[in-house]
Amino acid sequence: MEAAALPIHDHHGPPPANQSARVQPQVLGMLLFIISEVMVFGAFFTAYFFIRVVTGDSWPGEGDHLPKAIAGVNTAILLSSSLTMHWTVEATIKGNRAGMKAGIVTTFLLGVTFLFIQINEYVHVGFAPSDSAQASVFYGLTGLHGAHVFVGLLLLLFVLIRVFRGHFSPQAHRGLEVPGIYWHFVDVMWVIVYVTVYLL
Amino acid sequence: MSFRAPGFPRAGLGILVGVGLAYAIVCSVRALYGWDPVVDGDAVLQVALIAAPLGFLIGLGAFDYWFRWAIGAPTLPEDHSGHGARSWKDYFRVNTDHKVIGVQYMVTSFVFLGIGGMFAMLVRAELAQPGMQFVDPNAFNGLFSVHASVLIFLFIIPVFAGIANYVLPLMIGAPDMAFPRLNALSFWLLPVAGVMMLLSFLAPGGAFATGWTAYAPLSTEAPIGQVFFTIGVQFAGASSIATALNFLVTIVTMRAPGMSFFRMPLLVWANFATSLLVVIATPFVAASQFFVLLDRALGFNFFNAAKGGDVLMYQHVFWFYSHPAVYIMMLPGFGIISEIIAVKARKPIFGYRMMAFSLLAIVVLGFTVWAHHMFVSGMQEWIRVPMMITTAVIAVPTGIKIFSWLATLWRGVLHLDTPMLFALGFLTMFTLGGISGVTLAMVPFDIHVSDTYYIVAHIHYVLFGGSLFTIFAGVYYWFPKITGRMYDERLGRWHFWTTFVAFNCTFAPMHLIGIEGMPRRVADYAETFAGWNLFISIASFVVGLSTLIFVYNMVTSWRAGVRAPANPWRAMTLEWQVSSPPPIFNFDTIPTVVGGPYEYGVPGAVHGVFKDAEVKTTATPAGAAPAGD
Repeated sequence: MEAAALPIHDHHGPPPANQSARVQPQVLGMLLFIISEVMVFGAFFTAYFFIRVVTGDSWPGEGDHLPKAIAGVNTAILLSSSLTMHWTVEATIKGNRAGMKAGIVTTFLLGVTFLFIQINEYVHVGFAPSDSAQASVFYGLTGLHGAHVFVGLLLLLFVLIRVFRGHFSPQAHRGLEVPGIYWHFVDVMWVIVYVTVYLL
Repeated sequence: MSFRAPGFPRAGLGILVGVGLAYAIVCSVRALYGWDPVVDGDAVLQVALIAAPLGFLIGLGAFDYWFRWAIGAPTLPEDHSGHGARSWKDYFRVNTDHKVIGVQYMVTSFVFLGIGGMFAMLVRAELAQPGMQFVDPNAFNGLFSVHASVLIFLFIIPVFAGIANYVLPLMIGAPDMAFPRLNALSFWLLPVAGVMMLLSFLAPGGAFATGWTAYAPLSTEAPIGQVFFTIGVQFAGASSIATALNFLVTIVTMRAPGMSFFRMPLLVWANFATSLLVVIATPFVAASQFFVLLDRALGFNFFNAAKGGDVLMYQHVFWFYSHPAVYIMMLPGFGIISEIIAVKARKPIFGYRMMAFSLLAIVVLGFTVWAHHMFVSGMQEWIRVPMMITTAVIAVPTGIKIFSWLATLWRGVLHLDTPMLFALGFLTMFTLGGISGVTLAMVPFDIHVSDTYYIVAHIHYVLFGGSLFTIFAGVYYWFPKITGRMYDERLGRWHFWTTFVAFNCTFAPMHLIGIEGMPRRVADYAETFAGWNLFISIASFVVGLSTLIFVYNMVTSWRAGVRAPANPWRAMTLEWQVSSPPPIFNFDTIPTVVGGPYEYGVPGAVHGVFKDAEVKTTATPAGAAPAGD
């Protein structure tokens, strides 16, 4: 909500509640949401565990190769987007509007690049999910992560639009910070996916 | 009728747009890849089952505020004008008031109880005699599958969310939930899931017939009706995760001044524990259905053994959710019983802290017992004994609760009215169900009775004698607060005694025929079981009829019952300190909590007091995104 455009006391909402914890409701909500997201990934890693470890088949499937180097470059791209996201928040807190704009645009573009390279990898990797259980797990885990990148990009797009419409200030930037937490989660999750699926 | 304003006309339009989009997407993708045929009915249906509900929700207006927020447009100041309900029509809108949402939840889930109960009647009609009378075996499988799925995902889990939605913010002295718009969305996801599961009867090949467990590869090979379950569960699961998150944030950040964690009523504790379970466990059932959907729709091989898939993995992932789910279906009931027993026995709850800690112990232990559902599945044998031990151990925190309730009753001044009767009925029936649960934990015995009516008896003793009795107790207990009117006490007692007796006649004999070897989930059975089955079927129809007393009582009392005072039970918790029904934003001034919630019989004890208006409050408006977001 834009504080400047809309005086907060104008609406007919409920009266203020007592604030019984130091944590902000929106931040706590995002953290709890991330816990449940971690569990979704946990279930997919369970599938990975059963098909790779319990069944004991080769990884990746017979005759398949995973492009470790390209995915490694992609990892670097996604990780640097976490840095630029952090920079965006810092710039906002310092009141540096130009830095905020540059930061959010860079973060968004890095995320799009990651997703583009990931899709490109699917096209050239040489096997389909229907080929083997290992291929299913590969597409399942990377695809689940890709879906999260897509959602994260959607959130960043909202932030980007609002940044260019003049929202956010050093005092009021939660709408930028909370999607940022989600974006960092998506990045950390990718490191885990990359290590388990590609490297191990 | 306007298609521009949020509401049902626009929601109908949204469904049409969703189906059209699904058709367009599927056909253009198939044409692009050159697949034959371009128009594939099953593929369109699967995409439409996702797109149409989203169209419905957008049309109904569940996302209007967020759309404006996302593009940085000024959000409409009427964002909370949905507060309160002025006529029955307001219950059919996206409403952000936790009290309206609570009533929406309860009424919707009781409608699904009626439908799910009807399916049970049909199952019992078929089973009244050996041989096939009314339905064919496939339809029979569909009936018990939809019965279980609807009653688990659309009755027990959401009705507890509904009761808590209504009373929890009141109990902690908050004007609303932390995220009122998310709360409204959570509710509207439910009818979507329920209608989807019921529509599966219209699918070619019949309703999903794989039980509520939907084991792979049965579910990956089943006719298209299965997808209605696979996708319906996603909507129900998203609803419960969002609600649980909302409860947790509300409990942590919006308690009244002075209400420390150990001054919270046990219902709040119970929902705190349940919400933790939901947030952590429910993603697993979502993932298990994602796997099934990917296998069915996109040709993945998670469960295709010929391509290296692992079918047991489904059971591990499914039960890692579904065992905690039985606690999701029970812990809120524990909270309700703690409230009622303390008030109706006029005594402080015995061992308050142990009651709270035992809830948390159940949350932790609940994640360590899942494979006791899989003793006969062919999994690695070394898992069995550890799971047997943890399952026996989880009876300890539950036992702590049972004995604390008994100690609370000890030498209390018992008021044996309807809520208390249901609470005592719960106490006895749940103990029986819990004991048969411990017997099932023992591997040799479990192997003997696996997939027999002994299992059916056990699950109904804990979910009907346990959960449903607590739900009835809670609905009677808070009926005066919610409606502002008293229910009919005489009819309430009739309801209890008929239900209690008929329930036992229905499910107690199932233990016997189960041990003797009558298999569950089969439409026909051996002649030797005919006598007991006829008895069970007749008793089950009495259960069905007894519910009509409840419905009649609720409807007539709501319309024309005696006006209820603010605090008919002389309870101490905060929801009883405001009028019945409560004012639109619950409290004119936020109460200050100065003592425990159950100090009954302690001279001069107070739980909450209302100080003057100048009591310090922070500048954060509840629910609304605060200034400077």
